[in-house]
Amino acid sequence: MQLKHVLTICPYCGCGCGIYLEVLDGEIIRTIPSKTSPVNQGRLCIKGWSAHEFVVSPKRLKRPYLRKQEKLHEASWDEVLDFTASRLREIREKHGPDSIAFLASAKCTNEENYLLQKLARAAIGTNNIDHCARL
Amino acid sequence: MTNSIDEIKYADCIFVIGSNTTLAHPLVATRIFQARDNGARLIVADPRKIQLASFADLYVRQRLGTDVALINGMMHVILKNGWHDEAFIGERTENFEELKKVVEKYTPEKSSEVTGISPEDITRMAEYYAKAPRSTILYAMGITQHTTGVDNVKSLANLSMLTGNVGKESTGVNPLRGQNNVQGACDMGGLPNVYPGYQAVNAVDIRTKFEKAWKVRLSDKPGLTLTDLFPAILEGKVKALVVMGENPLVSDPDSHHVEKALRALEFLAVIDIFMTPTAEIAHVVLPAASFAEKDGTFTNTERRVQRIRKAIDPPGEARQDWVIIQEISNRVGYQMNYSSPEEIQNEIASLTPSYGGITYDRLGGEGLCWPCPDKEHPGTKFLHKDRFARGRGLFHGIEYIPPAESPDDDYPFWLTTGRVFVHYHTGTMTRNSPSLDQEMREGYLEVNPADASAIGLKDGDKAKIASRRGEIISRIFITERVDKGTVFMSFHFLEARANVLTNPALDPIAKIPEYKVCAVRVEKWE
Amino acid sequence: MKETIIEKVKDLFEDSRIEAFLGLKEENGQIGPYLFTDPKDLEGFSLGDKEWPGDKRYPLSKILIALAQKYPENRFGILVRGCDERALNELFKWNQLNEEHVVMVGFPCPQELAEACECPKPYPESLVVGEKVKGIKSKKVEVILNMGMEGRLKYWTERFSRCIKCYGCRNVCPVCFCNECELANDDLIPSGEIPPENPIFHLVRAAHMAGRCIDCGLCEEACPVGIPLRTLYKKVADIVDSEFGYRPGYQKDQKSPFNILGERPED
Repeated sequence: MQLKHVLTICPYCGCGCGIYLEVLDGEIIRTIPSKTSPVNQGRLCIKGWSAHEFVVSPKRLKRPYLRKQEKLHEASWDEVLDFTASRLREIREKHGPDSIAFLASAKCTNEENYLLQKLARAAIGTNNIDHCARL
Repeated sequence: MTNSIDEIKYADCIFVIGSNTTLAHPLVATRIFQARDNGARLIVADPRKIQLASFADLYVRQRLGTDVALINGMMHVILKNGWHDEAFIGERTENFEELKKVVEKYTPEKSSEVTGISPEDITRMAEYYAKAPRSTILYAMGITQHTTGVDNVKSLANLSMLTGNVGKESTGVNPLRGQNNVQGACDMGGLPNVYPGYQAVNAVDIRTKFEKAWKVRLSDKPGLTLTDLFPAILEGKVKALVVMGENPLVSDPDSHHVEKALRALEFLAVIDIFMTPTAEIAHVVLPAASFAEKDGTFTNTERRVQRIRKAIDPPGEARQDWVIIQEISNRVGYQMNYSSPEEIQNEIASLTPSYGGITYDRLGGEGLCWPCPDKEHPGTKFLHKDRFARGRGLFHGIEYIPPAESPDDDYPFWLTTGRVFVHYHTGTMTRNSPSLDQEMREGYLEVNPADASAIGLKDGDKAKIASRRGEIISRIFITERVDKGTVFMSFHFLEARANVLTNPALDPIAKIPEYKVCAVRVEKWE
Repeated sequence: MKETIIEKVKDLFEDSRIEAFLGLKEENGQIGPYLFTDPKDLEGFSLGDKEWPGDKRYPLSKILIALAQKYPENRFGILVRGCDERALNELFKWNQLNEEHVVMVGFPCPQELAEACECPKPYPESLVVGEKVKGIKSKKVEVILNMGMEGRLKYWTERFSRCIKCYGCRNVCPVCFCNECELANDDLIPSGEIPPENPIFHLVRAAHMAGRCIDCGLCEEACPVGIPLRTLYKKVADIVDSEFGYRPGYQKDQKSPFNILGERPED
């Protein structure tokens, strides 16, 4: 028997409400607003109260996919990562680093966005990185 | 935001423009209601009669894309009546004469002609805003998603500086950011012209600092913005694209054009948690972890950096995004050896002055608002307290420019877009949440009763909506929320993709598309 | 007070009277619900007071339902104030929890909180520490009644128009446990609009609170737009009391007059 209340931040709008994800034996069963959060002080909107629902959707991606003969097929991590890296290397060699672009994400963490721009700038050698702040 | 969310409840006057706050930023709306219960005045300016309008001391409905004319009109009235803050202007700002010269032309009558708001209401707005001891401005994409987005924001900054309503508690110019970590994505250098912390890629000393830290030569050439990217792909300049947690096929303007560009790529990789329409046309799809399955930090709209914590494991073989990026980097030939997000955050702090004092051990409790330059710094509740980032605040004289597209005989209606209360962005998350999906399963076009009867449409009928870029079919909802001659649609629904219609015309500086204004034709569809 | 309660919980574990204790804990600078399964975890144990008494209360009895349903054989201790105990008493009656498997560890609210809540019974019967505090009669209901018919209509219309349909009042409510919620019944309340149809949404909920609401006030604290729901439901409770002589949560052995209602008629 394990019931945890994990303190985290709502994934929707820019308010950044504090929430507890209620996890019973490894399964999220509820979202509860944090009363101590300076932002929401124990309140949430309908999206916040439902923050855990899409996480457990059966439609979540569970395997990597690779396009073969016009169609996406399940593949192993090694296969897709090697393929991705080799395509990026080939295209960079043939057309230069600025022929590759990256889109960062307003839904990913600071650390992940930092790492993606580092991948673009340091590993590939381009400043072609943007995200959908404008959209 | 220049100021923090909780300060709003102590403001004396709140000016909401281009923000449907109760549905897009509900916890900010909480403070608006609290302030109002404390006696604050509320001014709402929005082309749609949004929920907040019925609580406003003054609600005005400006024509789409006329914000500059409205704000100039307010400033004209303020100057004419001597309601401006001379001491603040003298001590903290420059270029006041230029502003005065431009604003002089925008009499309430002239402003009224452009905006459709009566001269009396413009005068009252000016009076309420300028005369309150602490006035705060709240805005969102209704201000920025225009070809004049930067002009609109600068105009609001003019208004706040003119009345000394910035750099003080419960005042400021406060953009409400639409996505939970859009602030952080910008802060972390997810932008083509800056490294983390808005450090320019073409400044030699900055580049040298990053070259030393990352042990590699870096490019000093600013990259392509998202909106310049798709034309560049079609011109053959960009061959490969890596997309992390975005769905440009649905979110970007002129969707048909975007789809053509994405299909023209030699290589498209998508890192996401669902098989989005963008992922469906990718060459590789990499399954990622959701917010509930990882550790890290998000930065909210008030610059508050807060911890997210892993609650469960990712499903199946899905991996955390930072692990995926590190794997790609290592295979491309650039070594990354992070063992945790915390280690990445420590590197961020070492290279980003505004995040310099932010470490995980300090992020319990309430988090920290940047700038937070060192380990002892308590964080910054509101910006520009004693000086602006550039020294003196710069006034800009800004002339009104009409939107890129206006209705004509072929496309007689104004179309504006926005959110509904249960959905978010392209619906990838909300439409996969049963409680939210149940609340609203399909999008609709809001039509004024007079227009609906002129076209012969009844509530719930289907209509064909066409712009110069494409056409879609949608059910209609008859409501006075939209003015005669204007229709509204949300952009969450793939099957009635509003962005097939929207105009990709950009603001020349911010490169933001004009989602909020375009011209369409509406016909009954059977 | 806290130390005495911690000792009591330790005793319950030692005497094997419970397998787990549901309470509150301060972690990462924030106070939230916590299931203690080991007395060693009790460091950081909190009564839910931070800036003022009782400002960090959570619907622990509601959390217990999911847990007890999955582990029906286990016995759980739970931290209770007067309102929590009233909630549990109702949940026992409605067969949501098994009384024999729940051990309440009760403590009284301070007078200050009793007054803020206008709580008629700011202490549980299962007190393990402290004194019974004087109950407070509500003045807020009176204030609204004194507005007169038109004033009241105007007041409530304004308040209900603020609603952003977050369902927080329902989600946080310790005695809302229906599998199908009438608030989400599209035939009754059209979905997809805010504010939800005025006043039907809030009156449907108020009607469902009759004979149920134990006056904990968590709904009002969870409301993002400041609708005084607690005052509304206090009035509902007064009506039920005068009509049926029943106040939810007070008498363990008195059946709710609404227990007999709500059965679906045969087709």
